[in-house]
Amino acid sequence: MHKTTALIFGYNKYGLEIVQNIKEKYERTRLYSQDESSVSDEINEVEYFDLSDDWSSIEKTVKISDSIAFCVLEDDAQNVFLTISLRAYFKDLLIVAIASNQENANKLTMAGANKVIPIVETAADIIASILELPISSKVLQSILFEENDLKIAQIKISERTTLKDKELLDIDWSMYKGIIVLSIMDKDMKSEFIYSSKVKHHVLKCGDVLVVIGYEKDIEYFKELIGSDRV
Amino acid sequence: MIQRLIVNASYALQTSKHYQANKHFFYNLLENDKYRYKKYVDILMMTLIFISVTVLIREVKSPINDYLLFFSTYIISFIFFIEYILRLWISSSVSEIIVKCAEHDSFLGKNVSLGKAFLTISRVKIGYMLSVQAIIDLLAILPFFHELRLLRIFILFRVFKLFRYAKSFQMLAGVLATKKFEFITLALFSSIVIFVSCVLIYVMEANNEASPINTLFDALYWSIVTISTVGYGDVTPATDAGRFVAMIVIIAGIAVLAFTTSLVVSALTDRLDEIREIKTIENLSKLKEFYLVCGYENVAKELCIKLASSSHNIIVLDEDISRVNNAKKDGLTALHYSPGKILSYENLGIDIKKQVKAVLCLREDDVENVYTALTVRSFDKDVFILSLLMNDSNRKKLEFAGINHLVYPQELVAMITKEFIGKPVAFEVVHAMRSANGNVKIDELTVTTRVRENFKTIGELGNSAYRVIILGIYQNDTDKFLFNPDKDTAIEVGDYIIAIGYQVFIGEFERHLHTKVSDA
Repeated sequence: MHKTTALIFGYNKYGLEIVQNIKEKYERTRLYSQDESSVSDEINEVEYFDLSDDWSSIEKTVKISDSIAFCVLEDDAQNVFLTISLRAYFKDLLIVAIASNQENANKLTMAGANKVIPIVETAADIIASILELPISSKVLQSILFEENDLKIAQIKISERTTLKDKELLDIDWSMYKGIIVLSIMDKDMKSEFIYSSKVKHHVLKCGDVLVVIGYEKDIEYFKELIGSDRV
Repeated sequence: MIQRLIVNASYALQTSKHYQANKHFFYNLLENDKYRYKKYVDILMMTLIFISVTVLIREVKSPINDYLLFFSTYIISFIFFIEYILRLWISSSVSEIIVKCAEHDSFLGKNVSLGKAFLTISRVKIGYMLSVQAIIDLLAILPFFHELRLLRIFILFRVFKLFRYAKSFQMLAGVLATKKFEFITLALFSSIVIFVSCVLIYVMEANNEASPINTLFDALYWSIVTISTVGYGDVTPATDAGRFVAMIVIIAGIAVLAFTTSLVVSALTDRLDEIREIKTIENLSKLKEFYLVCGYENVAKELCIKLASSSHNIIVLDEDISRVNNAKKDGLTALHYSPGKILSYENLGIDIKKQVKAVLCLREDDVENVYTALTVRSFDKDVFILSLLMNDSNRKKLEFAGINHLVYPQELVAMITKEFIGKPVAFEVVHAMRSANGNVKIDELTVTTRVRENFKTIGELGNSAYRVIILGIYQNDTDKFLFNPDKDTAIEVGDYIIAIGYQVFIGEFERHLHTKVSDA
């Protein structure tokens, strides 16, 4: 379900950077700070919050089911407390959090975060791939962060998709020029590599998602060809 | 006339590349610990020493094969003689001294006189010949005169030559030398105790017929045996006064022994870290390729674990001893040297151009990273430098310092967040490929001459049979990435095939690329 409001908890360099990157994707972006003095920042329209359990003021102004929360406090302990506090109050809220390391990332997951980004490990992963696989790292980065025309997209199988009810093994992907199908995900499983033996005999059905890489026009053409929707 | 000939010959030798190269070669072979082949010479010499000592021991009670005896007496001695001459040759440059002297005289407008030069040469060469190591070398050659039985015992001097070849012996000597003052004090104390006890026991016992101590030599022998706490018991005092002296000497002996032990132990403890560091630096010069991590903090720690798991060599430099110790605890080679000082690289003997794969400035402090990057760039323009960026306002400064790639964690987090909320499945797929824990990997396969001989186009590669997706091909010549190339795309030597698949299948596919026999 598409979210319309982003709630960013943490008035710091992470919070500000996230605001810059996501503000175009959401109708409303709200930045919260624990420091009352930062509320005077008119450029970013900062609002005050504390770690008490009273989230009613936010609930009144925001439709929680249409929101996504980013817990980006720099203090890991406070971030865990914030996450657990939000989760206890809002069962269905989508929570993305940052952690300084994997150990704290596990705690955040236990506290109810849907996605946790361990900063140290992520930076180390990126540096390692830059050093060990410089070309593919550059290619993946450009694909993932849309630095050029090459894109990665999620194509959803719908009722009218021509590939529906076909076994993966029977599909000749090479006939779809200009795109590469990387993986597939259905409701019951994690994303699986397209050549995985687990999905070899998988029959495509409504709701399955194909992850494809290609140029924008080729992806659009592929979508039209199979009669599917882009997620 | 002769003088001019000598000066001309000296100039010729000084300018002769061939002569200088040879001299440098022998210098490396005999003296330069960092030279790759020196260790083989050392091993050869040590083997020769052990052979000659073994022959000496065997010869005492058993007949020795004539050839072996000849080898031990003449061949080994001859090899040692050659070594002695070579060492004497490389110890200083005769031609350089003569040239310097001649230039000095002509600069002052005087006639060239070689007297002073010969004096300097004699002083330098004799100085070398009188050094302890040169004397040992010379004595090790003496068994050559095998007929003189006394000289055969000099074979044992060959054992002392081991000091020259085994670095650890030199280190031990160096360690003990740091306690020189304490050892001299101990020797002085022991000498006084031995002297006093020797005289006392002689005075007390010499006139007693029942006592075995009759001469001053007997007294000295008894004193040394007693103070060393060995106490053979073959010579014992017979009088009460003598026994009293014995008690004093025994107590003094215990003190001397305890003092000696504590001296050696404290010398070793004091310099243990230094010895380890020397060894590490020695090993460092032998590494062909490594990542130089400057600063050991959180990201560095995590990255080093990943790189080490891929069997990469990593050297950590940090000016903070606690961080260096942390790196050592994590099993890394870490040195307490500031990465921001040229002197550090000089002392460590790091050849950035040849040995360093990439310099990683991973302090979580932009100021320190700029400082390190500028230091590295000041003596190498080409090495790849990657740095953490902690504050975006410093980006330009780090770029200006010559850093090739900046990693800004805040930006990464924001971009990952953006991608995650937009395409969560796609994000997980790509993240899994980059992660060390995922099964499906992305890899770069180099097109070697052999691969090119086997396959001409992408269509011939047969990747589908290995369940491998070819994402694209990086063309080295044009520096371009061709996404999803069609079957007829030609591959060239130096290109990279970007493949996605299960790690094990990518491995098999790579082997297939190298082993397939071309049908052509």
